[in-house]
Amino acid sequence: MATTACFIIVSRNDIPIYEAEVGSAAKREDAAQLHQFVLHAALDIVQDLAWTTSAMFLKAIDRFNDLVILLNPLYLPGSRIASSHFDTKVRALARKYL
Amino acid sequence: MVDPANTPLGKMLLEEITPVVMVLCTPLVEESCLKNGLSFIQMLSPFSNFTNIDVPVRTASDQPYRLQKFKLRLFYASDIRQPNLEAAKKRLKEVITQAGEKDFSEMSSDPAEVRDLLSRPESEIIPTWFQFFNKELVRTLSFSDHEAFDHPVACLLVVSSKDEEPINRFVDLFNTNKLPSLLNDGAMDPKILKHYLLVHDNQDSDSEKATKLLTEMKNTFGPNDCQLLCINSSQDGQIHHQENPWAPFKSDALPSNNIGCFLNIDDLNEIKDLMQELSSKHIIPYMEQKIRILNQQVSATRKGFKNQIKNLWWRKGKEDALDSPDGPVYTFSSVESQIRILGDFAFMLRDYELALSNYRLISTDYKLDKAWKRYAGVQEMMGLTYFLLDQSRKEAEYCMENAFNTYIKLGPAGQQNAIRCGLWWVEMLKTRDQVKEAATVYFRICSEDPLHSAVMLEQASFCYLLSKPPMLHKYGFHLVLSGDHYKKCDQIKHAIRTYRNAVSVYKGTTWSLIKDHVYFHIGQWYAFLGMYDIAVSHMLEVLASSHQSKKTQELFLRDFLQTVQKSGKTFEVLKLQLPVINSSSIKVIFEDHRTYASAAAASVRERIWRSLEEDMVPSLSTARTNWLELQSKLIPKKYKESNICVAGEAIKVGIEFKNPLHIPISISSVSLICKLSPNPEERNSDENSSNLELPNEENETSTSSRYVCVVFVIYMHTNIFNSLNNYLCLYVYLACISACVNVVYARIFNFLQVQLTVTPMAEGILKIVGVKWKLSSSVVGFYNFESSSVNKKVAKGRRKAKHPPGDNLKFIVIKSLPKLEGRIHSLPEKTYTGDLRHLVLQLSNQSKVPVKNLKMKISNPRFLYAGNQRELNVEFPACLEKKTNAEQGGGHTNNNKMLQNLFVFPEDISVKEETSLSWPLWFRAAIPGNISLYITIYYEMEDVSNIMKYRTLRMHYNLQVLPSLDVSFELSPCPSRLQDFLLRMDVVNKTSSECFQVHQLSSVGRQWEISLLQPVNSILPSQSLFAGQALSCFFMLKDRRKSSTSEDSILSPSLLQSDVTLGRQGNNEALFDVSCSPLADFHSFERMQQGMSDQGVENKTDFIFISQLVKGNTDSGAPSTPLLFSHHACRCSLSRMSPVSWLIDGPQTIEHDFAASLCEVKLKMTISNSSDSVASVRVNTFDSPSNGIQSSDAAGTQTGVSSENQSGWFDIPAVNDMKVITTDALATRLAKSLSMESVSQFIWSGSSSTKVELQPRSTAEIPLQICVFAPGIYNLSNYTLNWNLISTKDEENQGEADKSSGVCQGYPYYLTLLQSS
Repeated sequence: MATTACFIIVSRNDIPIYEAEVGSAAKREDAAQLHQFVLHAALDIVQDLAWTTSAMFLKAIDRFNDLVILLNPLYLPGSRIASSHFDTKVRALARKYL
Repeated sequence: MVDPANTPLGKMLLEEITPVVMVLCTPLVEESCLKNGLSFIQMLSPFSNFTNIDVPVRTASDQPYRLQKFKLRLFYASDIRQPNLEAAKKRLKEVITQAGEKDFSEMSSDPAEVRDLLSRPESEIIPTWFQFFNKELVRTLSFSDHEAFDHPVACLLVVSSKDEEPINRFVDLFNTNKLPSLLNDGAMDPKILKHYLLVHDNQDSDSEKATKLLTEMKNTFGPNDCQLLCINSSQDGQIHHQENPWAPFKSDALPSNNIGCFLNIDDLNEIKDLMQELSSKHIIPYMEQKIRILNQQVSATRKGFKNQIKNLWWRKGKEDALDSPDGPVYTFSSVESQIRILGDFAFMLRDYELALSNYRLISTDYKLDKAWKRYAGVQEMMGLTYFLLDQSRKEAEYCMENAFNTYIKLGPAGQQNAIRCGLWWVEMLKTRDQVKEAATVYFRICSEDPLHSAVMLEQASFCYLLSKPPMLHKYGFHLVLSGDHYKKCDQIKHAIRTYRNAVSVYKGTTWSLIKDHVYFHIGQWYAFLGMYDIAVSHMLEVLASSHQSKKTQELFLRDFLQTVQKSGKTFEVLKLQLPVINSSSIKVIFEDHRTYASAAAASVRERIWRSLEEDMVPSLSTARTNWLELQSKLIPKKYKESNICVAGEAIKVGIEFKNPLHIPISISSVSLICKLSPNPEERNSDENSSNLELPNEENETSTSSRYVCVVFVIYMHTNIFNSLNNYLCLYVYLACISACVNVVYARIFNFLQVQLTVTPMAEGILKIVGVKWKLSSSVVGFYNFESSSVNKKVAKGRRKAKHPPGDNLKFIVIKSLPKLEGRIHSLPEKTYTGDLRHLVLQLSNQSKVPVKNLKMKISNPRFLYAGNQRELNVEFPACLEKKTNAEQGGGHTNNNKMLQNLFVFPEDISVKEETSLSWPLWFRAAIPGNISLYITIYYEMEDVSNIMKYRTLRMHYNLQVLPSLDVSFELSPCPSRLQDFLLRMDVVNKTSSECFQVHQLSSVGRQWEISLLQPVNSILPSQSLFAGQALSCFFMLKDRRKSSTSEDSILSPSLLQSDVTLGRQGNNEALFDVSCSPLADFHSFERMQQGMSDQGVENKTDFIFISQLVKGNTDSGAPSTPLLFSHHACRCSLSRMSPVSWLIDGPQTIEHDFAASLCEVKLKMTISNSSDSVASVRVNTFDSPSNGIQSSDAAGTQTGVSSENQSGWFDIPAVNDMKVITTDALATRLAKSLSMESVSQFIWSGSSSTKVELQPRSTAEIPLQICVFAPGIYNLSNYTLNWNLISTKDEENQGEADKSSGVCQGYPYYLTLLQSS
């Protein structure tokens, strides 16, 4: 089955700093903002979880640890990640897990 | 917790789940009531709701309790049926549409901030019509067959006193044929309480007849069940009710003042009493009784262990017989229905314990029977009962969820029920502050009907907003979802409303796709409603969405432009995002005392010019510190602090437009917005300064158009996105009146650079306000420089950042001044190294005032310097040729002036009004590379009254200099003659295609005589050096100082052969004179460049190699004449040679009779000191060859560098008779081989070490002697020369080439001794 996953890294203050759409389904023009809507809405849950249970949150971080390391220390909070290297890396990982 | 009955849900239940009274009335009754504008039921309705009825109730238990609140629901028999679903939907839609219209008109222009919204009370946040809508939605489910609370408890039979045979009418009314089908088909119990009511209209007649009829009725139907109601007691119908009790029941818009106009207070009281009696005396007791009876039945059949087992057994057995998917059909008389009725009756009488126990009982039965709808209904009621009992919350929720899921499972049949159940569940959750959960239930309620879903989603969104803490993301998301659903149902106003609420969430975030979606759709929908202004304002937000795909961007832009078009207006947008103006790219170029010859010059950094002009212009700082200075008086303080520009001279503003989209956009009519106002001070102080009348400042906009002559020059450099061909367009447009000029249609792909020019024509204060453009010829965008000038870098901000940045765009326009325009004719842009040219600088003065005191400074005199006025019209290569009678004038050089790079024009030179001045310049491409030449010319105005005394003209040229010929020289001493040197010249053509003709080699100075060793013809017959070709030439260099007296060389310079032609021998091409300008000047620059003083060391010499290029690819001003190239080599020296040289002189071959004696050979060593110092030389001889080898090894490492070149030296035809050129390495080899066989065959006799002192430039002779013992060939090289310079002058800074001491290995000298016979 063709599925699409949208992967977004969100920094403080809900600023999306990286977006990637991965998956086998053909890209739909109109679906782009839908993904953003869904993910944006999910932030409420994430906020709740982050305060209540630390376990799940840590697990998610742990799994993509290598990605976190890639973030550079000179990163300006809120600016977008534009590195193409990072992009390809994410997509490769996505293929592995999906 | 509050009493459950007082919660919204409790109130709702007490209102909705109440006994139903079926009303059967004759048309005449209705007629009487309609006089009041009311139907019969409407008339009674306000009085069927009791807040304090205070009736004692005793149900199953013996303990009575009192009922306070009670309500009856009255329905006409015809309405007691399941409502038509379609009609219900239509009604709901109307409700929504009405609400939409109302809310839309009330909507404020700006959506509130989320934070503000939260601070408001809840009732203000949530639209009020939700409540109403929910109620209506619940009502669509009345009279369902699986529930009993809608079953009529009583029947009210109403007959008018006007009716004929009222008694019969009463009987007829309750005719089963006319009864609702639900009662007839067995779903409801038709045996219900009957109450007979006679209505008498007091307007018609006296009540006597009615009273009579009542008695008759009482006889027929029993005395308790009959009543008389007299209405319309008011005769004139002018009664106004202060608080109209019917208002809430008459929502449809009738003129309300007519309602109840015939009903006076007596009537009202009568109705009130009637309803009170009906409730307390008839209905409640009836229900009590029924409950008791049913309870007994149920207890008998179902309660107790035996009955339970029996029931279970019976149901098990029945299971197989089931085939209907909805479960079995139950009639009202079935035990199950009876239990349900019992439960509902108990519920309505608030005996919740009883109700619950019965619901529980029946619930298991229905479950076993798989009667899912009934099961769900009972579960729903259980949930509500739990809630009202305020007992187990968990149970309550569990029941509601169970009911909801069961309904959902039923599919479309249970859909409506599920909605109702969900709504009750939501209310239950809300009551318990579980708002978040309530929202999810709302979300689950969403059905196929998009309109209902939309409302539910919107309610869900408000739940998220009101949850603690507020879940704003979800709020926004559900609003958007809701809006989409509204849109699907064409409820555009609702859609706009929800989206606009959502904007408050997404505003300021960087979730770009979301924002675009929301703004774009709001815009689109507003446009659909024809509200174009607001539509455009929303669409503006999405125009610059660079992250969107090309297709989406096209859509956005197209829709935007369509909307604008439809509006039929030209929009003026203050901050139009399309195209983007890069605020850091805004450059203002203006000319005050600094003027620029070209745009390139203006873009050069001010620092470079400043350092160039440093000592040329009068210093500003001194003018300021010294108050006596004239200039400080002339320039008022005000002028110093703001930019000055001159009337009639253009100010250029460079702006970069960037297109953030993937699609081309078109802009046109780019123009500057400027304002020129009269200078207030000027006006007071100097009234003659302007002949024009200066209008008042208030009238600024019109002023600007009168005083500014705007010249627009637009350079468009369009970088096409997909690397298509770049193209350059130039549009020039002149306009004298308007500040807005229609200029250009440009389709911007990536970015566009525009240069706009404004030329003030009168004195005053000019302010550049902003820029204006037209997008797709429909929207005018403005960009205000000042508002966004925080980061702006104005290219020529004269005085640092202490001024507010807005001042950079404010100019004081002063009276027009002369301005020189300068140009260098035929300066090449691309050339080869060594290119020597004669150029002309032209300065023209267009004004009426002459300028004087010209000075010029050139940044790089190696490349360019000013010549002599005489040289202006000379013929170029010819003027360099050597004159036969040497005129010393040619040798005149401007060394002193050039040292400072400053050229002062002769004092009598001035540029007169409207004339031009030409001045010669010499150009030579000194080194390869990209070279920037900066030239600044200073001049002063003759008219001293001006504010500005002087101006500078700045010129800037960029050259590309390619490498041409690589010329290198190598000098080596000639061992046979001490004053002679051998010069090797290597020339390599480094160009890729050019062909150079070698012409001449000259040595600079007088002391060298140069001659060819070999005619060039033999090496290079064509004299042309093609690309990549190399040439090596050998010359003999003779030191004239030694060979002749010094007086001789000065007296007859023409005899000196310091130049040698490399051309064809027979060709008498003139040689160029390297001792006169410009070659000599350029040569001295080259020397200066290498940090060398003019006083050269004698052993060093400079060469100038001259070649010609007949046809070149370089852009030359005069292609017919050959280009001249000069290559200068400085300090070519005998750097590797020691200052001491020597020769051994002696016999070559000796015949000797060795039998007689050993042979003594006398030799003579001549040592020459070529340095300027006294040299001390020690000659060491040694007999042991090993010693010699060691030392020669050491020497070899010292001078090993030269071994690289050895191959080149062998083919030379030996002019000298001795092979002196062998390298040390070779010498070592020879010494080794020879020493093996002839070891100690000879010894040095005499002293083994001799020391001599040599005066500067002198020679000395040392006698040497050897004794040979046997015949043979001997190499007399086993000696060393240790020399040491004793410095007389302080010349230590001469560099490492001048070693002060050294050791030299002896040369091989072969001596042949033969045995004489």
